[in-house]
Amino acid sequence: MKLLNVTNRYYIIIAVALMLIGCGFLTYRLFYLFDKEITDHMLYEKQIIDQQLYEEKQLQHMNFKFGDHIEVQPIEKFTSFRIHMRDTEMYDAFEKGVVAFRILSYEQQIDSSGYRIKIRRRLTENKDVMYGVLVAVALISLNMIISFYFLNRWFSIKIWAPFYAALKLLKNFDLRKEGKPQFRTSAIEEFNRMNEELRKLTDKVYNDYRNLKEFTENMSHETQTPLAIIHSRLDVLMQSENLTEQQQEQIRTTLDAVNRLSKMNKGLTLIAKIDNNQFADEHSVVLSEVIEKHLSQLDIFIEGKGIRVIKSLNPRMRVRLNPQLVDILLTNLLSNAIKYNEENGVLKISMDDHGFAISNSGSTPSLSSEQIFERFRRGEDKIDSTGLGMAIVKKICDHSSCQIAHSYADKMHLFTVRINPAKVSFV
Amino acid sequence: MKILVVEDEKDLLNAMVDYLHQSGMTCEKASTLEEALERIDLYDYDGIILDIGLPDGSGLRVIEEMKKKNHQTGILIVSAKNSLDDRLSGLNIGADDYIIKPFHMPELVARIKSVFRRRSFQGKKELVMNELRVIPDEMMFFVNDKQVPLTKTEHDLLMFLLSNSNKVLTKESIAEHLWGDHADMADSFDFIYSHIKNLRKKIIDHGGRDYVKSVYGVGYKFHSE
Repeated sequence: MKLLNVTNRYYIIIAVALMLIGCGFLTYRLFYLFDKEITDHMLYEKQIIDQQLYEEKQLQHMNFKFGDHIEVQPIEKFTSFRIHMRDTEMYDAFEKGVVAFRILSYEQQIDSSGYRIKIRRRLTENKDVMYGVLVAVALISLNMIISFYFLNRWFSIKIWAPFYAALKLLKNFDLRKEGKPQFRTSAIEEFNRMNEELRKLTDKVYNDYRNLKEFTENMSHETQTPLAIIHSRLDVLMQSENLTEQQQEQIRTTLDAVNRLSKMNKGLTLIAKIDNNQFADEHSVVLSEVIEKHLSQLDIFIEGKGIRVIKSLNPRMRVRLNPQLVDILLTNLLSNAIKYNEENGVLKISMDDHGFAISNSGSTPSLSSEQIFERFRRGEDKIDSTGLGMAIVKKICDHSSCQIAHSYADKMHLFTVRINPAKVSFV
Repeated sequence: MKILVVEDEKDLLNAMVDYLHQSGMTCEKASTLEEALERIDLYDYDGIILDIGLPDGSGLRVIEEMKKKNHQTGILIVSAKNSLDDRLSGLNIGADDYIIKPFHMPELVARIKSVFRRRSFQGKKELVMNELRVIPDEMMFFVNDKQVPLTKTEHDLLMFLLSNSNKVLTKESIAEHLWGDHADMADSFDFIYSHIKNLRKKIIDHGGRDYVKSVYGVGYKFHSE
């Protein structure tokens, strides 16, 4: 839920609650005022009637009604000046129904004659008042809510602009790209504080990443020469006269280790390069051609193991990716499928509209499908691998916005690569 | 065979020169671009092993200078960076081949010899050793002047062995020469064994001597005498 909607929701809830309380209070107050007004008015009328009765002598001895709300009636015997006030319901011709009336009745004595006087006043209906108040309040509330809504929208655009700008910068923040996000300063202190912290954070992340990258690069680059020296010296040593078999084997084992180190080095350098975006240029590549090329290069190993190759390739499929990376991806996947295959096993390569799949027969994996793609994870049986092949495959897929997945079923390992549809075309 | 080795890492330079010397080549050293340019100006070489990344400039300058001299020298680039650009620009301006650090010394010898062969024997590019004769360009092999059909791998293997005769060759260096990046494929050593066995058999069957000896625990050695 958007922040704006949350605040709006609270505003509305509070506004409605306040309005309801206000309604109650207002209604109560209005009732009271109307009531007082009517009573006051009726008492005032009484005064006028009394005065008129007193001054206009001809009105005396008359029994008359004044409209339907004043009634003067002579009585035989005057009892007291007490004023009776009561509310009642009566039929009203104007409203054509039973409505509430207030009746003020009292007795008056003028020159020894007694009168009973009744003053009637129609009361404003409670529900009418309430209805009126409600309508008024509802209109005001509606007005306020609509104003709130638009005001808030305007606020959120205006006041929250630095926040959304910072958010956008963070969203587009990519370590692989050059340049740190530049957070703008705003007039609002909270946003400035947030931006300051964000700037520190991204700077730190960026610097850490750069240091790490630099370290990997330097490490792999700077170790190349010493490795080459060790390697060449061992090669020279190996050719020395009069070496015992044991010494020769020791040299060979050392050479072996140096070789492995070099290969790891190469692999890590490759990963660093992919991270560095050094394989950015993309060309149209016919996937089936690349697969065929690698299969023919690996032919000797396929034949040697008696592996049966089942292909269903689509020569019309082209992918727009970096050709070198496609090359490395397929070499690694195919050689992996041969390396971990069984004698007289099967190697299946299939393509569909979304990508390709390579599967090979093999024993139950000792690594989980996720672990397979981790660096320096090796299956138990093959110690001589560098443990980087699948990590490189994963890295290439991530870099080329492809998705790779591994599964194992029916004694077959299956690697599926889904290529970003935007990169795929058919001729 | 006279070789100029240009490499700024002194230790590596010395190791390379030592090994090439063991392989019967005469070597001269240069560890800076200036030194290298001076040497090629004064002397003629059969081959140059050239590191591109030199402290005082790009080794590619050496190739440019050699071109001006209208030379017949084979140039082998040694690149520390596994970068395609360096290699391509080197090959474009006239280098014959490239090798990436770190490498097996026998590989270096095989490469420089192959570069030298391509450059020097104009027309008659063949290699003779006792009763064995190879025409590398046509992939033809003769034992006692009788042609022996070889597969491509066997031919590559034979050339590698001949280039490094009397040297102990580890299985790794042979595998890498034959299969490059695929050398670490499982069982590639078994393949080497079977290829060596076939090659040996073909030579012996055609009346040749048994030149290839296995070195226990290490690899193989091609005895030329």
